[in-house]
Amino acid sequence: MTDVTLDGVRVDRERRLVLDVRSLVMRGGRTTAILGPNGSGKTTLLRVIAGLERVHTGRVSFGGRPVVRSHDLAYVFQEQVFLRQSVRRNLELGLRLRGVQKQQLRERIEGAVSLVGIPHLLDRRADRLSGGEGRRASLARALCLQAPLVLLDEPLAGLDGSAYAHLIDELPRILEVFRATTLLVTHSRDEALRLADDLVVLVGGRVHAAGDKHGIAANPRVTQVAQVLGYTILTVTGRRLALPPGALKVGGGPVQFPLRVEAIVDAVDFKEIVGRIGEVRVRVRCEHGERTPTHGDQLIVHSERLCELESAL
Amino acid sequence: MGNLFAADATTAAIVLRSLAISGIATALAVLVGVPAGYVIARRQFRGRTILLGLINTGMGMPPVVVGLVVWILLVRSGPFGDLGLIYTPAAMVLAQFLIATPMVIGFTTASIQALSPRLADLLAVLGAGRLRTLWLVAIEARLGLLVAIMAAFGAIVSEVGASIIVGGNLERSTRVLTTAIVTETSRGEVERALVLGLVLVALSFSVNLALTVIQQRARP
Repeated sequence: MTDVTLDGVRVDRERRLVLDVRSLVMRGGRTTAILGPNGSGKTTLLRVIAGLERVHTGRVSFGGRPVVRSHDLAYVFQEQVFLRQSVRRNLELGLRLRGVQKQQLRERIEGAVSLVGIPHLLDRRADRLSGGEGRRASLARALCLQAPLVLLDEPLAGLDGSAYAHLIDELPRILEVFRATTLLVTHSRDEALRLADDLVVLVGGRVHAAGDKHGIAANPRVTQVAQVLGYTILTVTGRRLALPPGALKVGGGPVQFPLRVEAIVDAVDFKEIVGRIGEVRVRVRCEHGERTPTHGDQLIVHSERLCELESAL
Repeated sequence: MGNLFAADATTAAIVLRSLAISGIATALAVLVGVPAGYVIARRQFRGRTILLGLINTGMGMPPVVVGLVVWILLVRSGPFGDLGLIYTPAAMVLAQFLIATPMVIGFTTASIQALSPRLADLLAVLGAGRLRTLWLVAIEARLGLLVAIMAAFGAIVSEVGASIIVGGNLERSTRVLTTAIVTETSRGEVERALVLGLVLVALSFSVNLALTVIQQRARP
């Protein structure tokens, strides 16, 4: 009942197509990652659903209602945006605007900040928080609204190593507490696969795949989706084959390819062979015990996992 | 000299009239200029750059030119002559409003453009209506907006050209501090002119001090 549905939605900007979604259903109560390269229309899609972007044609509905009301949604923006006030005041604002009573307001804020681990920051100025703290405060602001639709636009963008690692580990637990229909925009395949149940792959403003993440990740079917998911695409005797990230191994196998070595990257813990299969640049991890090749060597590599792509949509 | 400092009824009336005319003109300029500045800062539309250029020009427009245009419009034989506003405080309010508004729009636009462009989006998704959004954005941009009010009030309370042209410097109805100074100087009453000048500076200082206190309390 809490599905998000888009029908014939089209957005043009300065005579350039930004988004063209003929028909898309994102299932209620699940987390859907909207995945695509930069400029593919991911954020625009989220803004259209939130009513922040005017559509030229089409309609968006949520839970069967023709318009997504602001009271139905919580939105975490890609860039951190706060009033120049304390974290507490920033969290209170949305609740006050939605008419939440004082006692309940306090309980919700305390619950949200505890969940994201920032109760000690409540009286700090929100606009002066560090990147990681600000991300948590943004999540707490969305969380305490208890909205049935949660929109997260690159919620981990700009975080450094440890802050990123902490938050990506905690996000699944936080998303579970939302118990909402959650749409997560990301350009990271790993984030999408770790955090979401479903995937929508957007390239050039158009949806190229939508559905359960396992099905799409196992069989991307078209070149654009395979590229977004980090597959290596090889053309062999007129067939387009997609190899999942990390699937190439040194040595022969059922499906093998000749690789011309261009460089060896020493990453301390392991070595990586950079080379070309035909015109396609690939990377193959050199396992311990294997002889490290040198520039110009010809190697045989194989992949046990691969899928054949259809022609582009 | 002692009489000069005595708060005689005439001087008090002039001071109050100056405050009322410039205060009302500033308030009207804020009412129009802040929303206009918000729209210009936040929206993209055809002719926006030209409009901003005109506003920036308006910020430096000589008051005497504004006064002349208002006089042409309001004079008995002019297009709005039937309204009977020429040589009234209302005409002075109108002229000062036209001087102050570009300043308020210009400073408002600049201060709102300095905020995150996502702020209005955030307020919209949190559930704020248009007026509430405008109010909350104005609070965020309060330092710049208080500069706008101070600059606008300071400019119009101290201008003389437009006030004389459209107000006529009538002793009991349109004489304000600046025009009174001109009158006293032309009469050779230099000391009285000087005292009125001090009163004008004190008035301007008081208003600006009050606004500065508010501004610095609001400092992020």
